[in-house]
Parts: sequence; structure tokens; C-alpha cells
Amino acid sequence: MRLRRFLVLRMIQLVPVLLVVVVLNFVLIHLAPGDVALAMAGENPDPVYMAAIRERFGLDKPLHVQLLTYIARIAQGDLGDSFRSRRPVTETLLERVPATLLLVATALAFSSLLGTIVGTWIARRAGGGLDVWVSGLAVASYSVPVFWLGLMLILFLAIRVPVFPPSGMMSVTGVAPGLARWLDILHHLVLPALALSTVWFGQYVRIARSSVLQVLSEDFVTTARAIGYPERQVLFGHVLPNAMLPVVTVLGLQLGLVLAGAVLTETVFAWPGLGQLVYESILARDTPLIVGSYVVMGVCVVAASLLVDLVYAALDPRVEL
Amino acid sequence: MAVAATVAAPRSRRSASAWRRFLDAILARPTSAIGTVLLLAICAVALAVPMLPLAPPGEFVSDPYQTPSWTYPMGTDNLGRDLMTRVVWGARLGLSVALVSAGISTALGVVLGSIPAYYGGAWDDVFSRIFDIFLLVPAFFLVIVIVSLFGTSVVFVMIVIGLTTWPRSARIMRSQVLTLKPRAFVQAARAAGAGHLAVLFRHIVPNGLPPVVTNGTLLMSTAILTEAGLSFLGLGDANTTSWGRMILEGQRQLSLAPWLSIFPGLTMLVTVWAFNMVGDALNRFLSPQVREGTGRGAGWVVAPPLAGSAATTAAAAAACDGSLPADGDAPALLDVRDLKMYYRLEQGSVRAVDGVSFQVRKGECYGLVGESGCGKTSIGYTLLRLLPANGEILGGSVRFEGEEMLARSEASFRKVRWERMAMIFQSAMNALNPVQRVGDQMTRAYRLHRPDATPAEARARVEALFDLVGIDRGRMSSYPHEMSGGMRQRAIVALSLLLEPTLLIADEPVTALDVLVQDQILAEMEALRKRLGIAMILVSHDMGVMAETCDRVAVVYAGQIVEEADVATIFADARHPYTRALMHSVPDLDRPRERLLSLPGVPFDLRQEPVGCRFSGRCPLVEDKCRREAPPMIPVRPGHLSRCHFALDQRVLTIGASTGEEARA
Repeated sequence: MRLRRFLVLRMIQLVPVLLVVVVLNFVLIHLAPGDVALAMAGENPDPVYMAAIRERFGLDKPLHVQLLTYIARIAQGDLGDSFRSRRPVTETLLERVPATLLLVATALAFSSLLGTIVGTWIARRAGGGLDVWVSGLAVASYSVPVFWLGLMLILFLAIRVPVFPPSGMMSVTGVAPGLARWLDILHHLVLPALALSTVWFGQYVRIARSSVLQVLSEDFVTTARAIGYPERQVLFGHVLPNAMLPVVTVLGLQLGLVLAGAVLTETVFAWPGLGQLVYESILARDTPLIVGSYVVMGVCVVAASLLVDLVYAALDPRVEL
Repeated sequence: MAVAATVAAPRSRRSASAWRRFLDAILARPTSAIGTVLLLAICAVALAVPMLPLAPPGEFVSDPYQTPSWTYPMGTDNLGRDLMTRVVWGARLGLSVALVSAGISTALGVVLGSIPAYYGGAWDDVFSRIFDIFLLVPAFFLVIVIVSLFGTSVVFVMIVIGLTTWPRSARIMRSQVLTLKPRAFVQAARAAGAGHLAVLFRHIVPNGLPPVVTNGTLLMSTAILTEAGLSFLGLGDANTTSWGRMILEGQRQLSLAPWLSIFPGLTMLVTVWAFNMVGDALNRFLSPQVREGTGRGAGWVVAPPLAGSAATTAAAAAACDGSLPADGDAPALLDVRDLKMYYRLEQGSVRAVDGVSFQVRKGECYGLVGESGCGKTSIGYTLLRLLPANGEILGGSVRFEGEEMLARSEASFRKVRWERMAMIFQSAMNALNPVQRVGDQMTRAYRLHRPDATPAEARARVEALFDLVGIDRGRMSSYPHEMSGGMRQRAIVALSLLLEPTLLIADEPVTALDVLVQDQILAEMEALRKRLGIAMILVSHDMGVMAETCDRVAVVYAGQIVEEADVATIFADARHPYTRALMHSVPDLDRPRERLLSLPGVPFDLRQEPVGCRFSGRCPLVEDKCRREAPPMIPVRPGHLSRCHFALDQRVLTIGASTGEEARA
């Protein structure tokens, strides 16, 4: 019951974020050079389709009515049609969600887990040689342009030493459904997930390190040492569960950044997710799709911040939902 | 370097030393030093590009696809242009993007973050809400949308990146203004008649800039990555030599001419890394609290065994100046001799524990009392071999149950911990793990030392302890924050009794509690301890607590025991001026005093080399001899020692009354 109240409350708080995204879109489309209908319908639409678009988004009405119509349309999940395929944008976007989800979730799980462990480990001797060099390496990991890293992985692990497929999500030749197909997908997943994880890994090392450092000075850590826990158990049994909290928070706050990395990675590896769709629509100047994917990204970020709040509450008994 | 100049500006009054400290912050880590040098080099090259003997980036100098060679160190591209020239020009573009975007973003953030925060009220609420919302809006996609709708000229891209990243700077600036606004110097400027905007931009903003500037360097690296990402997606300016564009073009010939992608990306990685490393160094320089690894901040860590401790034991026995001999036939449970633990600082050492010797008998309660900072707590922790990160046991011997403790390896000393020697922590301190149920913390600790115990046995033991200290068993599933202060302290007592140790070290066990609860818990602790026959070292600043619980008391001053006697003697016939002064801080029982206001002079600085009596700077009886010669422990009567040249002089006994008068005056 409390949980439901919390969810409803948080959603109400998050509505403004979505509203800002939608209004920004509206304003941008209207400010953009050229006819709004043209921007929404594409470059060479037939007059009938243009008229339909004008009708649907009330483009001949006053501006505030247009805005309200636009918001109402989006609230119903109508983001217009892709002018290239003439299919509804929402449908096109939703098709791509699973692939992105698979890639992002894999990379997030991998990088946050490994990053947290490494960050925790180097925090033990802050300022020491290991800490300095691993921290430097962590910074390098998020200073890498992810698309370039992707290219290098393709170059060395797909072209020079062809261990992994360079692109796509499934073999073109087709694989029998079932386990074999899953293994095939997994095989294709390795390189893009590796590229994305590397870029995020450094962030988690840093956050975990500074968070662990802070928790290390807490008194209950002294208690654990006084009780006689070996240092590793102090670190992973007592410090880490407390240090996780900021890590989770940052994880949620940076989802926007995370998705940016996903777009670039998917582009490099031709991974058939949202990111590649964004890239394709940029190439094709498919404005409705670009704008639509921005709205969807906004929704994802908001949903993730909600999820993070829930995880935080589950991890920290002091947080009341 | 532009970055450093903007940082040093607001601190110009101390700029010389600021530069020095900034240099220190850079040199403190080899990685920061490397990053700074690299960044300077990249900046220099980028600035000097037009003057370098390089062909224009667009010129076709050779055949296409030349592999890297002496003439063309990075090879040539598909049109026969020299790649190195293009990468260098790319640096110029990258740095421009970094500066312009971060500049716009920071300027916007400073203005939008500071003004509403300064005036406060509804506008501040509205603006801070707006920051929060914009922080969640995914900036990269906003840039994509804007650029794909409005055009891809590189100047426009720079501006858009700046316009979409300001909320972070704004939020940092806002919190800076909120912290600085109530400060005295701001109020003084207001009182001197300065206008609001003048105060804000001349006094508050310059002082609040440091974290904004740090954020600015991080923004620069984000801006470079963002611009390159856009170029790679085909949203870049086709007329520029951008690294992202080069990588995009190189992608097409990845297997044929891999150098086309390798070099621009590598350069970019190095540049962004260097920016981030400089940002880190700036951060360490500007916010000293980030510096870590020294002092209390790092928490108490496990101390390694004392090397060659057999030798020091012998030395200690010899050096032991007239301390109380172990009580006749019964050997002491704990025998501490000449224990020394110093904190290392940059400027030298702090003599936190400086030659401390005492004995604790079985079942006895032994008090360590003194002002805060005198070293009494350090003694307690040193016995358990828990030290601040910069603490070091320099010598002495700790014999516990007939065995030398300082020589034991860390692993073997872990078996002594809690099993035989446990600690009662102060409950105001966060002594229990906040994210674990209290009962679970205790069962886990039990099973750590009794690996053969079943979960049920561990649980039964904890239940029994909860009964013993008078907490409802149902509370085992509570988290620490769900308990009252008194109940938490009881839980801590229960935890200390978990394995039935023979010695308890209690550090200010009731100080944080309400006075009524204090007495109650102290009495219960005493009863339990006596019933179980456990010895205890009670560390407190409170003479009242000593009077209630201890059998014998040692008064600690400046890292040394200055007087030791049984509790009745200490109260009736103290022979050290410090002890007598300390006792006159008792009357105020409701609000235990941490500082002795009644004593003139400055407390002994534990960092200085001691000459003479350490109390001489504050002592009303001070004579020349005291300043010259350190007093030994002088036996007053059996079991009563005082570290004062005048321990046997009747004048000592006059001290209490007069200082008491002074305090009241």
C-alpha cells in the first residue's frame, strides 16, 4: 500500500520532466526553419499526407492550441509517423527497445559490478601506488570515445583475429531457434557490450572508491575490525553494502549519459536497437523519428530514476518509502 | 594555462602559495603530473598549428593510403592528405569546442545559479526545481535533436553543447551561494553599503567559484566527446577537421587502412584523459577535504605487529620508572609497559600515547580519565591494535593473560579480538552497521569466531544476551536507527559480551546518552560485569562516571599517565595539580565539560618535543625545575603515584579550592 502511494507520488513529481521534454520538442520544431508540417512529414510528402498531418496536430490552429494538441497526442502515445516508412513512430521505436535493453542491461550489470569491486579494492590503500594507477586507468576508461573503442574492438577481435562477429545481432545465415539462437545473439553481444562496459566501468570505479573511502571512516567499520573480521570481510561485508547507496544513485542520474553511449555503440556495431534507429533517422532526416526517440529517451530516464529510488529504498532500511 | 589562472584569481591575495599548493596537488600523483604535461603539450601544439611547418589540413600531399612512415608519421588518408596534420588541426578544434562550450555552460550556470539563490524566496524554489528537471533531461539527445533541426555548423554545435549542460554548474553555484551568503565577510560588505549585485558578484561568486571551475574542466572533456560523437553520427560540420569526423571517415577503411581510425581516436583519448586528470588535481587542490589517507578521516585500521618487540619489552622493563609493580603474587590480567603510539604528520609526530604503563587485574574496573585530545582514547584503541591510518605503535609491551600482544601477527591477533578482548563503543557514534539488523550483526559476529555453531545456536546466544541486557528479543530484527539511544547502547553492551571476553575496553560508553539513562546503563553494565567477572578499562572525560564505576583511576594528560590511585584516594587526596583541576570540573554534572575552562594557559602541544613537565604551562605551582626537568612517577603511598615534583608537597592540596573560585568568578 505504502509502495503504491510512493510510486504514484514519484510519478507525479516526474511528470514535469516529461513535460519539459515534450514542450522543448514542440518549441524546437516550431523554431526550426521551414514549415512545421514539412518538418513533421518529411521532405517530399504528398499533399494528401501533409493535410492529414496538419489536421492531426491542429497545425492551422493558434499556437497554444497546437501545444495542447501536441501534448495530448503524445500522452496517448502518438508521436506521429515516420515519413520514411509511414509507420507510427511509437510502433517503430517500441520494436527496437528489446535489443537496446539487452545491450544496455548487460553492459550496466557488468560495468557496475566490476567497477564497484575494483573501486572498493583500491580504496583500501587510498593514495598508494595501486590506487593512483588504477584510478588513472579508470579515468582513461571513460575518456575513451566509445565509438572509437568499438572500432578498435572490431579491428582487433573481428577483423585481425576473427573471434567475434563485427556487427549485427544475429548471423545472417540464420540459426535454428532455441538455445542455438540465444548463443548466437550472445556471441554477437560480446563486442558491443565490452565497448559499453569499458566506457562505464571507470565511472563506477571512481564512485565506488570515493564512497567506500567515506564509509571506511565510519564507526561501524571500526566495530567490525574490533570484532576481528578479516579485512576482506570488513570491506565487502560491512563497507560495501553501505557504499552501494551512492553508486546506485549515480547509476540512476547518469542514465541519460548511458543512453548516449548506447546510441554510438549501436551505430558502430549495427546493433538493431534504438540507437541505430536514431542514427538511421539522422541520415534519412526523419525528423518525427528523431524527436520521437528523444521523448522515449526522456521516458526511459524518468523510469530509471523511479527504479533507482526503489532499489535505494530496498538497500537502505533508513529510507522510508 | 587558462584553467589555473581562473582558479588562482579569486585567491590572488595568497596567490604565490596557492600556485605552490596547486603544483603540489599536481605532483602528488604521477598520473596527474603526466596528465598536466600532456595537456600543456596539446594546448601548445594546438595554439602553434598555423605557425608549424605543416601543410594545410586539406592539401593532398601524397598518394592515398600511405602507411605511417617517417615522412607521414600517421600515414595519409583516402585523399592523400597527411593524417598527422589533420589530427593536429583536430586538436585545435577539440580545444575550441572544450573552451567555448564549457565557458558558455559555466557562465550560464554561475548567473542562473547565483542570482535566484542570493535573493531566495519563490524564485529560488522555481529555479532549483528547473535545475533538477533539466538534470534529468538527456542532454546528448537534446543536442542531437537541435542540431538535426537547425544545422550542424561547428560554432552552433559548441553553443548548443554549452546551452544543454549548464544545469550542473548552476546547481553547484547555487549551493555555494547558499553556504557563503550568511558568512561574516558577506554581511560586512553589505553593512559597508555595497549593493546586492556588487556583493553577489564581487564577494560571493568569486569565493564560490572553485567547485564550479572543477566542474568546468570535466565539462570540457564531455564537450570534446559530445562533439566527436555528433560528428561520428554524421551531424558534424563537414567543413572542419574534427576527430570524430576523421574516425567516421576512417571507419570505411577499417581493415584496409586502420591507422586512419587509430590515431585520431588515440589522440582524443589522451586529450580527454589529460583534461580529466587536471580536473582531478584541481579538485584535490580546491577542496582539501578530498585529500585522504591521513588523520581521523580514514578511520581506525588494524595495526601490524611491532617489530623486534622482545627487545622493546626488555627496554620497557628497564625504562619503567617506578610504576606500580604487579600486585604481589597474582599476576595482572593486562600489563602495559612503556607503550608508545605516535601519529605521523607532515610536520612531525603527535605523541598521542607516550610511554604509558599500567596494570589491570582480573575483574577490576580501571578508569582512564582526561580532557579530550589527551590520548586516553588512543590508549584504549592501541590495546586492541586499532589505529588511525597514520598511527604507529613505536614501542612498549602489552602483556595480556601472560602473553605479548604486540608481537602477534594480524591474523593471530584477530583471534584475541572480541574472543578475549572486546570493546564497548559510544552509541552516538555510528557503532552499529546501519543497513544490517542488529540481531544479524551479532549472530554473524558469533559465527565468525565460532564457525562450528549452527545458526540456531548463534541465535540462541544472541537471544540470551538480549535478555541479559534487558532488550526485548523481538528487537533482534530491528535496524539500529529504529532503536532509541539507550537501547542501542544496551545492544552494544550485549555485542561486547557476545563471546564472554575477559577484558572490556569501554570508550565513553554513556556520554552521548540522556543523564538519567546514563546512570541506569552504567549501573547495569557494572552489575553484569561484576557478575561475569570481566575486567574493564573505562575511558571517559567524566570524573563522575569514574567515581561511580571504577576501582582504580589513571589520569591522562598529554599522552602520559600523570596520576594513578584507587578511586577513593583520587577523590580524597589527589596529588597532581592537573587531577585536582580536573576534579573541579565535576560540579557541573548535568553538562559534562570537555575543556577545563578554569585552567589558564595553553594545553601541552603533543607535536612539540617535551622539555620538563608537560603540565608546567598551565600549572599554578610551576617553578623553574618544572620547566627543566620531567618529573618521574613519584610514589605517594602504596598504589598511589603522581607525576609531579611536588607530589609530596602540601601546596598541591590547595589547588582545588582556588581554581574552583576562579571558575566561578
